[in-house]
Amino acid sequence: MSKKEIKVLLVDDEVEFVDTLGQRLKMRGLKVDIVYDGEQALSFVKKTAPDVIVLDLKMPGLDGMEVLREVKKLKPDVQVIILTGHGTDKDDEQARKLGGFDFIRKPADIDLLVVKIKEAFSEKIERAMTAITFAEAGVFETAERIIKKDE
Amino acid sequence: MKIKNKLLVGFGFYTLLAVAMGCFMYLELHTIISRLAYVKSADDIVNNALETRRYEKNLLLFNDKGAINELDHYITLLRKNIGVLKKEIVKKIGAQEFAKLSGQIDEYEQSIHAIARNPADKGLIEKVRIIAREIQATIDAVAGGERASIDYLLAHLNRSMILLLFTIAAFIIAGAIINMKLAASISNPIRDLEEATKRVGGGDLSWRSELTGRDEIASLGMSFNRMQERLSAARQSLELAITELHEKQEQLLESEKLASLGRIAAGVAHEINNPLAIVNEKAGLMQDIIGISDEFQNKDKFMSLIQGIVASVDRCRAITHHLLGYARPTESVMETMSLNDVLADVKGFLHKELEDKRIAMETNFPVDLPQIRSDKGQLEQVVLNIVRNAIEAVSEGGHINISSGMKDSKTALISIADDGPGIPQDKVKHLFEPFFTTKGKKGTGLGLFVSYGIVKKLGGMITAESKSGRGTTFTIQIPVDFRQ
Repeated sequence: MSKKEIKVLLVDDEVEFVDTLGQRLKMRGLKVDIVYDGEQALSFVKKTAPDVIVLDLKMPGLDGMEVLREVKKLKPDVQVIILTGHGTDKDDEQARKLGGFDFIRKPADIDLLVVKIKEAFSEKIERAMTAITFAEAGVFETAERIIKKDE
Repeated sequence: MKIKNKLLVGFGFYTLLAVAMGCFMYLELHTIISRLAYVKSADDIVNNALETRRYEKNLLLFNDKGAINELDHYITLLRKNIGVLKKEIVKKIGAQEFAKLSGQIDEYEQSIHAIARNPADKGLIEKVRIIAREIQATIDAVAGGERASIDYLLAHLNRSMILLLFTIAAFIIAGAIINMKLAASISNPIRDLEEATKRVGGGDLSWRSELTGRDEIASLGMSFNRMQERLSAARQSLELAITELHEKQEQLLESEKLASLGRIAAGVAHEINNPLAIVNEKAGLMQDIIGISDEFQNKDKFMSLIQGIVASVDRCRAITHHLLGYARPTESVMETMSLNDVLADVKGFLHKELEDKRIAMETNFPVDLPQIRSDKGQLEQVVLNIVRNAIEAVSEGGHINISSGMKDSKTALISIADDGPGIPQDKVKHLFEPFFTTKGKKGTGLGLFVSYGIVKKLGGMITAESKSGRGTTFTIQIPVDFRQ
């Protein structure tokens, strides 16, 4: 499993930033997709499920927090890391309540970001495994609960 | 003495004067009148005696038959007038002599009548003359001397008049003095009170009436004093309230100013973060690319230049994150703790730095300081920050004093004083503003700004006092039990 390419979706309206970041993550062995606003992000998630989303908060149209809420409704097992230049501790708290995996402030250290993405990915795998274990044991309710825990 | 009584005394004095004068005059007049009456009667007696002797002579020498009637008339008058003065005459010559005089007058009358009937009786004539002379002598002795009474009376009147004048003068002087004193004793206190009311009206509340006694004015003075004390007390508490209000207002302005500065700083930090992130990623990508590239000319030079960019971005990030930390409404972790332990911990943390600079740190932690409920970590951060500043401020071998205490039952105090060079007065008020630093390039100017924000968040207050050359003292007020 760990050798599997981690699929990361970057969501940010700051094109210069997100393109550059995408390149750097690719150089670090991640599979990167980039969208530039919330709507695009949601339609992307509907089509294919990334492992981890790196999401900006302040965007025109649908903002990061709404995207997070929707993503967790659509695909609860997708892990979301907030990466923002505007975040307050209140946003941090709210994002975690909505099921966000972590909250990082811009400008971020690339190594730290990669570490967090990998952690998020491991978390996703672990949950899935636990859910499968329970499901195999016939405890569907628990499995469902774990999957939908964040809602 | 009450004013009414004082007035009665003054009035009474003059009444007494009038009565005394009246009595004196009455007695004097009475004496004069009775004297005059005496003198008149005595004069009558002497005249009667002289008239009697004149008609006796007419009868005896010229044998004037008609004289006998005149004699009878004058003898009767003589007898009557002697009767009027009987008391005085008895007093002068005694009852015996008076009886003898009366007897002689009777005898004289009988003898005269006998001579009238028989004018030739020489023996009887002689006898009449002898009796007449004796009577004359007695009357002169009794009444004749009284003619001198007029002189005596004049002298007496003169003396009385002088006495009267002196008495009146004495009474007037004494009366004037007494009345002046009484008037002064009434008007002086009134004047004092008037003066006092003027002073109080002019704003001097320190004046106290020193009137004693039991009259109405003294009691007015005491009421005045009570009023004064209340006024003073009221004014004092008012002044105190105004001072407090001013302080509160200043603090409010200060905290509002810092809060808006914080908001501006946070806004700027937010806005800067995004372009900064781009710089960070671009530089990072360059680093990544060059890192995997083959060796080329100046590769190391490029790497170190990019390293410089990334390091600068890191510094910027430290600043913006710090600034955002100020505005950050983090939840505080409240716990019950001993403030003294927190301070002792800070001292422990800084042990090495203190030793390196040979700084003597005095601590004054009262053992009976109550426990407080606050955020230990944040409090520690604030104290650490301030003590670090103090360590940087003092010269080698300097002193830092940390003490704890209570401002009141609800507020604990931490005081951190150093004997460093101090901060000029005009700069002290900017101490808590962001980017204000006295350390030159070494300081970010955010330490105290963030400390201020933390203490504020914990419901407390932080103030600084400093004078050039006299060191600096920071005082932190922390509520004993802060409920968010």
